Amino acid sequence: MKKYLAIAVICLLAAACSKSLLKEEPKVPTGTDFYANANDLSLAATGLYALNNVAFNQVAGFATCYGSDDVGVARIGNKLSFSDFDTFQPNSSNDRMTNWWTSFYATIKSCNSMILNYAKATASDDEKNRAAGQAYFLRALSYFFLTRTWGAIPLTTDNKVDYTRPKAQPAEIYTLIVADLQQAETMLPDSWSGLGVQFQNGVNVAPTKGSAKALLANVYLTMAGWPLKQADKYALAAAKAKEVIDNKALYSVDLHANFNDLWQREFQYNNEAVFACYYNNNVPNTPWNQWDMMGPNSSQPGDENGWDDWFGEITFYNRFPAGARKDATYQSVYMVGGAPKDWTATALKHPYFQKYRDDASYDRVTHVGNWAGDHTVYIIRYAEVLLTYAEAAAMAAAPDVSTYNAINLVRHRAGLGDLVSGLSQSAFRDSVVAERGWEFAGLEPAARWFDLLRTETVAKANSIRSAGDEPLKNIPDDAQHTYYWAPIPINDVQLDPNLK
Amino acid sequence: MRNLLALLIFFSVINGRLLAQQTVTGKVTAGDSALSGVSVQVKGGSQATQTNAEGNFQINVPPNAVLLFSNVGFSLKEVPVGNQTYLRVQLSSLSQNLQDVVVVGYGTQKKTTLTGASATVSAAAYKDQPVVSVSGALQGRASGVAVSSASGAPGGVVKVRIRGSNSINSSNDPLFVVDGVALGSTSFQDINVNDIESMEVLKDASATAIYGSRGANGVILVTTKSGKAGKMVIDVNTFLSTNKIKKYDLLGPAAYADEANHIAGTTVISNPGAGTDWQSKVFRNGITQNYQLSVAGGTDKSRYYVSGYYVNQTGIITNTSQKKIALRSNIDSKISNRVSFGVNLFLTNIQSLNNGDLGSKANPVVSSLAWAPTEPVYDDPATGAYNRYAISPIGPNPYMIAKESDNEGKSTTGVLNARVKYDITDWLSFSTNFGLDANFYRSAYLNNVWINQTNISSGQGYNDNYTLQNSNILNFHKVFNKDHNLSVTGVYEQTSNKYSGFNADGGGLSSTAYGYYALQLNATQGIRSDYSNWGLQSFLGRVTYSYKEKYLLTATYRADGSSKFQTTKNKWGYFPSVSAGWRLSEEKFIQDMNAFSNLKLRGSWGITGNQAIAPYSTLGLLGGQQYSYGTGTSYQGYTLGNPPNPNLKWETTKQWDIGLDAGLIAGRLNVTMDYFSKNTDGLLLQKTIPDYDGGGSQWVNLGSVTNKGFEFSVNFMPVSTKTFSWSSTLNFTTYKSKVVSLGGQDIIYVGYPGAGLVNTSIQVVKPGYALGSFYLIPWEGVYSQDDPVLGFKAGDNKYRDVDGNKSIGYEDRVISGNAMPKFTFGFSNDVSYRNFSVNIFIQGSQGNKIFNGTYAAIAAPSSDIRYPTLAESANYWTAKNPNSQWADPASKTGRSYIESTHYLQSGSYVRFKNISLAYTLTRKWIGFGDIRLSVSAQNAITITKYKGFDPEADTMGNSDIAAGIDLGAYPNPRTFTVGLNAKF
Repeated sequence: MKKYLAIAVICLLAAACSKSLLKEEPKVPTGTDFYANANDLSLAATGLYALNNVAFNQVAGFATCYGSDDVGVARIGNKLSFSDFDTFQPNSSNDRMTNWWTSFYATIKSCNSMILNYAKATASDDEKNRAAGQAYFLRALSYFFLTRTWGAIPLTTDNKVDYTRPKAQPAEIYTLIVADLQQAETMLPDSWSGLGVQFQNGVNVAPTKGSAKALLANVYLTMAGWPLKQADKYALAAAKAKEVIDNKALYSVDLHANFNDLWQREFQYNNEAVFACYYNNNVPNTPWNQWDMMGPNSSQPGDENGWDDWFGEITFYNRFPAGARKDATYQSVYMVGGAPKDWTATALKHPYFQKYRDDASYDRVTHVGNWAGDHTVYIIRYAEVLLTYAEAAAMAAAPDVSTYNAINLVRHRAGLGDLVSGLSQSAFRDSVVAERGWEFAGLEPAARWFDLLRTETVAKANSIRSAGDEPLKNIPDDAQHTYYWAPIPINDVQLDPNLK
Repeated sequence: MRNLLALLIFFSVINGRLLAQQTVTGKVTAGDSALSGVSVQVKGGSQATQTNAEGNFQINVPPNAVLLFSNVGFSLKEVPVGNQTYLRVQLSSLSQNLQDVVVVGYGTQKKTTLTGASATVSAAAYKDQPVVSVSGALQGRASGVAVSSASGAPGGVVKVRIRGSNSINSSNDPLFVVDGVALGSTSFQDINVNDIESMEVLKDASATAIYGSRGANGVILVTTKSGKAGKMVIDVNTFLSTNKIKKYDLLGPAAYADEANHIAGTTVISNPGAGTDWQSKVFRNGITQNYQLSVAGGTDKSRYYVSGYYVNQTGIITNTSQKKIALRSNIDSKISNRVSFGVNLFLTNIQSLNNGDLGSKANPVVSSLAWAPTEPVYDDPATGAYNRYAISPIGPNPYMIAKESDNEGKSTTGVLNARVKYDITDWLSFSTNFGLDANFYRSAYLNNVWINQTNISSGQGYNDNYTLQNSNILNFHKVFNKDHNLSVTGVYEQTSNKYSGFNADGGGLSSTAYGYYALQLNATQGIRSDYSNWGLQSFLGRVTYSYKEKYLLTATYRADGSSKFQTTKNKWGYFPSVSAGWRLSEEKFIQDMNAFSNLKLRGSWGITGNQAIAPYSTLGLLGGQQYSYGTGTSYQGYTLGNPPNPNLKWETTKQWDIGLDAGLIAGRLNVTMDYFSKNTDGLLLQKTIPDYDGGGSQWVNLGSVTNKGFEFSVNFMPVSTKTFSWSSTLNFTTYKSKVVSLGGQDIIYVGYPGAGLVNTSIQVVKPGYALGSFYLIPWEGVYSQDDPVLGFKAGDNKYRDVDGNKSIGYEDRVISGNAMPKFTFGFSNDVSYRNFSVNIFIQGSQGNKIFNGTYAAIAAPSSDIRYPTLAESANYWTAKNPNSQWADPASKTGRSYIESTHYLQSGSYVRFKNISLAYTLTRKWIGFGDIRLSVSAQNAITITKYKGFDPEADTMGNSDIAAGIDLGAYPNPRTFTVGLNAKF
């Protein structure tokens, strides 16, 4: 009998001896032990793109740009949340705009973490700089989109959870954006070639020193306009843009020869991209943040089983100068009832954009499209650097040969002749802004909406709206700046009384 | 002692001789089967006989005799004869002892001396109902237990709640303990329900506090069958069922085209054609085949029960199925007078096809309703080329998705329990119990060109999950001075769990010829692995004391240490309970009333805990994110997850209970009622973080929730004669749940399904209201004239501008009803006449609301579904139809908010869960055994105002704060069954 007792006692002791019973042993990094070495920094940087890309792979957040005169939508069925911005009646419950609010702030949170922790990693200075440079760049980019869209917003850099954050005014936000980009400029490499996965097919997927300068140029140009109206920033914008133009070989960027190529699958990677988001439909296990749903279906007419999420407003289309650029920007043939027709034959009687229809996801003959594709979404194209330079240099001093050269490079590629010479400063500026409109029409992130805001011409642009487009519910005011900023999403207003 | 007995017998013999004799006949059974060879003896007398092969006996007895019935493997039973001439006697097996002894945590206890609140569900209660799962056996059978089949998918999600829900973000699932093994890696649904002898539902703190940190949500103790000494019994149980659902009333092609053209303001569908009835394409009649074979028997020293099980279910959605095969072997043996051991081994393999995540807006359930009826199934029927996309909605062809999907799961589960008991003396024993429950799961999928047009792909995953438990129990039991009965139990227990797994996924598969078996043919490949662990260390004890079996007292105490919290202080929780009982029926003044066969008053108080959060929840782990840089290869990245909280600790629930058990009419009417009050403090709460701080949530201990309720159950046997009997059980539960505080926070917005269709929280947690409160914009019908203030026109939806800001939006949401039922009940009737028996089992839920997202999705245009398909929606407002309750869907001024009370519907229902008729061919007629044939219907009749497929179906499955949402929930079918049971 004693042997049974002995067995029992042994069992008991064996069981009692497992000391680690109450200890947790996770096999993934925790926030406190991460950022320890170069590999951690690289893993953290990759995570940033996964977050940032969600803002640009779907039309949702772009809803806030529908108040411009290039993009419109029918006020029907399930398009009302887009239409609310198009016709100036958005409210804080808008379900489409929240994508930008949440994606940009999620990116900011992970950027903050990198910026707060990278210095303590055991890694070379170059490795640390490259990692932190990407975080500074993406944080600046996120705040740039947030403040242009919502104006005064919470400014978080500390990664604490705070239910009482006040709204920071745009001036404060821009101070951080400029500081971040100045940091990024010093930290990022000229090229990622040989430095890892950030360099693909001869193109820098991650931002370079040149990307930081280009974004800073855009930021300065915006600061020169509404709401800050700091005219001294024109010179800074021109100088930064010029640094990119003068060093385009160093940063591997240039104007691509053919505008239409930019939207083809074959040119998914090209040197016109100063900074862009890249997508792929063939990534294993359906991670939809890696697909681009900006098109084809989203921008296709219902006649072609598209979703009618966005189309071209008629006045803008009619004024759009004919040529190679217009042919690449708008669809010219529509399959209505199986037969090729022009846009007036579509059910909604509007022209449709065809920028986000790479030929892997869209059949250019039958117009059968998928709901997601591989197309690249350009955040900054080299063409924008040229136009930023042209406008900023002209506004800082006066139009000159260099400013004409810059805009004419873009015009020539578009199939247009030289801009009329001898224009006044303001006429030249208006020509550049118009040129930007044609160049980036159709939900490119260099959106015409942002140009209308900074040049205080929202109402003006909408004053010549076609009767064929949905009537405006409210008329914005360019002096009072009504309907310039989107309402802050209700979910955060409910959590933080300071946002009311 | 022996002399005294002899003397007693002598006197009774004398007595018997002096008084007149009477003849008593009767039948002895155990469960359904007649017991032969049972010894029938007059207590204190010499008369004795045995039952014959049919279980019948005849014996002469003196007046006021008491008969003793005994049989090896069964508990002894005393029956006073009184003036009866025919007796029906039920014996219970020793392993079960349902009448006398009940299973309690870490032991058993005489039912008469029990002071806690618990309820028993025995296998006999559902014998003619084709039950394929543990949840099916539990539903409606016990008061205080709510079971809802949230998904009708084979092996679908089930929600089990005991006395409501305490926790907001942590689990509210009860703890399942199978033969002493607390399940940690496997689901209770994996257990073969046919092997279950009985289930004991522990409800109050007195019963559950012994499970401490895992007891707050109640405990269900499952006892599996064991062999009985005597003849070997072979039991064959088989049934065949067909399952179908009721359909939605949808628009035909012509009416759909009219409405679509109206909404578009132009002709978008000019030739509607014959169209397609997508519901009939996607849904089908499912078939369930169920087979169980068991062999049981044994000797005085060793007993065995061995069973095999096979069930094959085809789901009501085309191309969905589940197959289950299981084996059990339960062995008990006595090595010597003092040492015994037992081993219970259970193995099961479950193969599922396409039974995965169906709760989404684009799943085949919603898509089959939303897809344009004007669309053909195929672009080219000759080649089988599907029509991928329709004019509406944006999701792909539901028949194509259902038919072409290949998502397989293979789950192997083992539950092992080995125990040794050593009786050190006749008042002290030690036992040690090793339990292992393990699950091995393999998943595999193949996405062909119809599932993913641009990325044909395949992948596999594998994971294993082990929970090891060791309990060491020291038991003391002694009676002092005849009247003082004292038991003391002390336990040391350790539980540990490890989970690990990996996934391999590919993209750009070059050939589908080898299914998912050739992952290397994928052009792009991704791998990933996961790991987690948790542990629990416990010291616990119980003291029970009774005086003359009249005054009863129980106290328990448990200390638990959990790995899931950080610092020693936070890791350890302490859980005491006390309870007392007074058996009034033992008091003379009650006995004098001659009304009660049993009357007991009970009261208890105790504390239980909840630590059911995922491992590492307090550590602030980083989240894995992948990015391909535009190539086909994913590169791993990490992003910041939810913030850590090292101060997190246990959630505790204090509960008190007062109960009464009464037996009336000589035990033919038994009533049990309980009132309880639970207060859960320091809730494990996931506090929402503003999106501007990165969103997500953080675990905190905040706030409190109360649950108060009343439970009532009645067993009644109005008629019991040799040829005819009728017994009836009713249980009724009502409780009120209320959030008392959220630690200063005013409101918590609850996550919601169907983003893109539903765009903000439709439920909130708010102090003063119950969990599961809906938060919706009040819908007030349709405007009959223009509203200049809000800018709406006649024919637009009318919503209440709650906040008065002259605009309608999510700021106008208000609390609008609740997903929790006001009361639930189960009512079962068994009537038998000669060899026929009938069971009617009704179950119901009253007063709960359901947000019918499925209905909403097809009722008005939304971001995903452009044109509605619901038949009612065509009756929209026009100047000529000004009284319609459906807004004009083409209005440019109007809005249709899904997140409104428009789509909140009554979820009350009364359901005939089972109607069955069985006929028994006895051994007498066929010679070799008993054969029982049955026909039955499940969910045959449902009385409800709910407009969806099924008031039980719930998209959020197991959630309590987001309960009552139907968004493509897989409905429970109506079932017809034929069954056969044979016993040899």
